[in-house]
Amino acid sequence: MALLVPILLALLLGCSRAGPERGITVRFLDRPDRNQAWADAIQAFQAAHPDIRVELVEGPSATNAREDLYATSLLAGDPIYDLVFMDIVWLPKFAAAGWLLPLDARLAAGEQADFLPGDLEGSRFRGRLYRVPMRTDAGLLFYRRDLLVARALAPPRTWEALVEEARALQAPPELWGYVFQGKQYEGLVVNFLELVWSAGGDVLDSQGRVILDQPEAIAALRWLRDAIVRHRITPPAVATYEEQDSANVFLQGRSLFLRNWPYVWALTAESPRVRGRVAITALPGRADAVGISALGGWGFGVSRFSRHPEAAWAFARYATSAEGQKRYALRAGTVPARRALLHDAELVARNPHYPVLAKVLERARPRPVHPKYAQISDILQHHVSAALVGRTEPQDALRAAARELRTLLASPRTP
Amino acid sequence: MTGRRVRRALFAAVVALIVGHSLWPFLWQVLTSLKAPDEIFAIPPTLLPERPSLASYAKVFTLRPFVRYVLNSLLVAVGTTLLPLGLGAPAAYAVARLRARGGELLLRAGLVGALLPPIVFVLPLYEGIRALGLLNHPLALIVPYTALNLPLTLWMLTSFFRQLPSELEEAARIDGFSRVGVLRHIILPLAAPALATAAILVAIFSWNEFLLALTFMTADQWRTVPVGMAMLSGVTEFEVPWDQISAAVVVTTLPVVLLVLGLQRRIIAGLTAGGIKG
Amino acid sequence: MRQEGLLYLLPAAALLLVVLAAPVARLAWLSLQEVEVTPGGGAEFVGLAHFARALADGIFHRSLVTSALFTALSLAAELLLGLGMALILHASFPGRGAVRAAALIPWTLPPAVMAIGWRWIYHDSYGILTAGLVALGLLAPGTTWLGDRHLALAAVIVADVWKTAPFVMLIVLAGLQAVPPELHEAALLDGAGPVRRFTMVTLPYLRPYLALALLFRGVQAFGVFDLVRVLTGGGPGGATRVVALALYDTFYRYLEFGYGAALTLLTLALLGLWAAAMVRAGRSRLDQEAGSR
Repeated sequence: MALLVPILLALLLGCSRAGPERGITVRFLDRPDRNQAWADAIQAFQAAHPDIRVELVEGPSATNAREDLYATSLLAGDPIYDLVFMDIVWLPKFAAAGWLLPLDARLAAGEQADFLPGDLEGSRFRGRLYRVPMRTDAGLLFYRRDLLVARALAPPRTWEALVEEARALQAPPELWGYVFQGKQYEGLVVNFLELVWSAGGDVLDSQGRVILDQPEAIAALRWLRDAIVRHRITPPAVATYEEQDSANVFLQGRSLFLRNWPYVWALTAESPRVRGRVAITALPGRADAVGISALGGWGFGVSRFSRHPEAAWAFARYATSAEGQKRYALRAGTVPARRALLHDAELVARNPHYPVLAKVLERARPRPVHPKYAQISDILQHHVSAALVGRTEPQDALRAAARELRTLLASPRTP
Repeated sequence: MTGRRVRRALFAAVVALIVGHSLWPFLWQVLTSLKAPDEIFAIPPTLLPERPSLASYAKVFTLRPFVRYVLNSLLVAVGTTLLPLGLGAPAAYAVARLRARGGELLLRAGLVGALLPPIVFVLPLYEGIRALGLLNHPLALIVPYTALNLPLTLWMLTSFFRQLPSELEEAARIDGFSRVGVLRHIILPLAAPALATAAILVAIFSWNEFLLALTFMTADQWRTVPVGMAMLSGVTEFEVPWDQISAAVVVTTLPVVLLVLGLQRRIIAGLTAGGIKG
Repeated sequence: MRQEGLLYLLPAAALLLVVLAAPVARLAWLSLQEVEVTPGGGAEFVGLAHFARALADGIFHRSLVTSALFTALSLAAELLLGLGMALILHASFPGRGAVRAAALIPWTLPPAVMAIGWRWIYHDSYGILTAGLVALGLLAPGTTWLGDRHLALAAVIVADVWKTAPFVMLIVLAGLQAVPPELHEAALLDGAGPVRRFTMVTLPYLRPYLALALLFRGVQAFGVFDLVRVLTGGGPGGATRVVALALYDTFYRYLEFGYGAALTLLTLALLGLWAAAMVRAGRSRLDQEAGSR
C-alpha cells in the first residue's frame, strides 16, 4: 500500500486528458465485432493508410446504451469518438444538437445516388447530409414454404390473408401462426408502425401534426391485439419477445410466419428444423396497396469534435465504399446499403432473398424523423404495449398516446 | 434442560440462516467462476463444480480492458480516501473542540446533501466538469466522491474527537505545542482507529460508485470497474461471456469481502458507537 | 479561537458548497430555462412552463409511481429483515463479530457489479433460482424473472432488500445499545413476555433509529439507479423504470436539461416531504416526555 500510493498519485498527475498520441487514431463505438468484420475492414484500410490507426471501441450490444454513450460524450464536446456509427433513428437528434459535420460537400451527388433512397433520406436533417449509410435493414415476412406449398397456398399479400392462412395451418402450441416483436421496446414500435403505414395511417402528418388517434392507426393496433386474443394465431408470450426470441420460435419450427429483419436468413440455414423450408417475402399490405416495411440501418457520421475529421472521413469513405461494404457484409452477414450490391453475384449466392429485399427497401419508410424521436418512441412503446396485453382498449391507448405526443411536441421551442 | 438445548439449536440455525442469506449470491458467483466453461451453461445448472477449474480467472484478465478498469478504480479510490480525511480532520477538530461558528450547521447541512441520491447532482456537476475540461480525468470522480463522503467522515470524526479527554490537549498546549501541533501530534495519532474506519468506508464507496463514473468517464480507458463490467456484453444476448463475468464479479467483490471480514470490529464499532443521532 | 476554527472549516465548507449546494442552485436556474444543447447554444427564460408540462407528463408520473412502489415494498421488507437480524445479532454468542460482518457484506458490495451477479441468478436458462424452484416443484419451468412485468419489479426488490437490510440492521444495532438493560430486567420482574418486552421497552427506544433508517433508505430507494439500470434497464416495458432512470433519460437521452432540472426539483420536493415526515416520526415519545417535564 505504501508503495502503491506514490505510484497511483504519479499516474494521477501524469494523466492529462489529451495525452500525446503517436500518429493519428480514429475511434468509433459499435457492438462487439461480429466474425471479425470490423477488424478485417480496419486492417485493409490501415494497409492503404499506414499513418492512420482505426480503433473500434466495443460497447454494449443494446443500441440504447450505445446511443447514451455517444450522447454523454458528444454533449461534452469530447473528441474521443471521431466517427459516430449511428442508427438511422438517432440522426435527427444528433444533427439537431450540432454534433455532426455536414457531409454534402464530401459525398458527390452522383455517388449519393448509389445508395438506397430511404437510407439517404434518413441520413439527412433539414436538407443536409450527416451520415453515409453502411448497412441497411427492413422488415420482412419469413414463412414456411414447405407448409404453404403442401396446402397449395401462396404467401399472403394482405394481413387478412395472413390470418386466414395461419388459422388454416396452425396447430398451437406446437405450431403457431404468426410471431413478431411484442415486448415494450423499440422493436414493438417498428412492428406497430409497419401495420399503421400499411393501413394508410401514420404518427405525424406532413405538417408534423399528430394523427395517431385516427381510425387507420387504431385498426392497426386492433389487428395486433386480435392476432393474440381473437384469431389466436400469436402466442400471448409475444409480449415478451425481442427479435431473437421471436426468431427462436420460428427457427424451432414452431411458427408459420415471422416478421423480422434480414439477419434471420443466415440463422435458418443453421437450424435443422427449418433448413431449406423457409422463404422470404415482403410484408403484407392491403388489397389495393403493398405492405410497407420500416427502415433500419447504420451508417457513419463525422463528429464535429474530432481532431482528425479528414482521417475519420477517409475511413468512413473506405468502409462505405462498394468494396468495403461487400467485405463487411460477407463477414458480418448484414445487408449493404449500396443498391448495386443487392445484385452482386457473390452476395446473392449467399443471400437468395436479396432481390425481394431490394424491392422492399425501395419503398421502406423511416420512422418519424424528429429530434425528439426517443421520446416519441417511449410514448408509443408504452401505450401500444398496454393495448397489446389488454390493459387498455386500442382506441383509448392511442388517444392517450396522441395526447402525450401533442404535449411533448408543443413544449417550448420544439426544433 | 432439553428445552434450553432446543432453543440454542434453534438460535444457531437462525444465525446460520442469516449468514447463508447474506453470502449466497456472492458464493454462487464463486461457484460459477470455478466451473469449466461448458459446465457453466449446463441446463439445469450444477450446484458444485464437477471439474473445478481456474480457466475463467485466466480468461478474465484477457477480457481486454479489465485490468485497466481495476487500476482506474484503485487510482480513484486511493485519491478519494485521502482527501476527505485531510479536509475532514481539521474541520471536525474545529467543530468538536473550537466550537467554530457554523460548524454544527455545516455538519447537518452536509449530511442532508450527502443523503440525496446522486442523480440530483449528475447534470450540474457534468456541466462544471465539462467547463473545466476535466472529463475523463480521475479528478472528475475524486472531487465529487470526496464531497459526498466528507459529511459522514466529518460526523464520525467529530463524535470521536468529542470523546477524547481535553486534558491531553491542555497539557500539550502548556508544553508549547501550537494548535496545529496538537492536532498533528496528539489528536490524530489517538484518532487513528476512527480515521481508519472512515477511510475504509470511503474506499468502499468509491470502489462501488456507478452513476457519476458512468457519466463523467466517457472514454473506455478511464472506466472504473462497475461501469466497465456493466458494459461488457457479447455479440448477441446468447454469447454473453458469463464464465469470465462471474470471475470478474468475484475479483471485484472479493477485496471488499475480505476487507469487511478482516476489519469487522472496527467498521461495526465505528458505525454504531457514539449513537447515530437523527 | 472561534476565528481560528473557521479557518479549519473553510476548505471542507467550500468543497461542500461547490459540489453539493451549487448544483441544486444550478438546477433551480435551469428549471426556468429552455436550454439549447448545440455547442455554444444559449438558454431562453420560459418561466414555469416546464413545471406545467411536468404536471401533464404521464411517463414521468408512471416513473414516480414505480419508484414509490419500489420504495414502499423494499422498505417494508428490509425493515422487517433488518430488525430481525439486529435483534438476533444483538444477543451475545461466540463468533458474533464474524457473523455480524458476514451479515454486513451485502451492503458493502458494489451494487452495479452485484446486479450483474443477480442477472446471472435470475437467468431464465442457466439461473440457479429458476432451476432451484423448479426442482422443488414450486415453479413451472420457463419463468423469465426479468422479462415479466410483475416479476421483474419483484426481482429488483429482492436484490435491493438483500443489499440494504444490513444497513437497517446496523442502525438498529446502534439503537439497541441505547436501551437501558435495567428496564428489561424490571419488565422481566413484572412478568412481561418477550413480545411485550419488545413492544413496551425496546420499541420506544428504537423509534428514532427506525425513523432514521426509514429516512435514509426511503430517500436512497426512491433515487435507486445502479441496480435497476444494470439488472433490467427499466424494462420490461417500463415496469421497472424508476424515477432516477427517467431523469437520466431526460438529461442524456432526450437532451432536455431545463425540463430535466424541473423534474429533478419536483423529485427533490417529494424527498423533502418524506424526510420531514420521518423527522417528525423520529421524535420519540421519550423525547417528548423529557421535553414536557
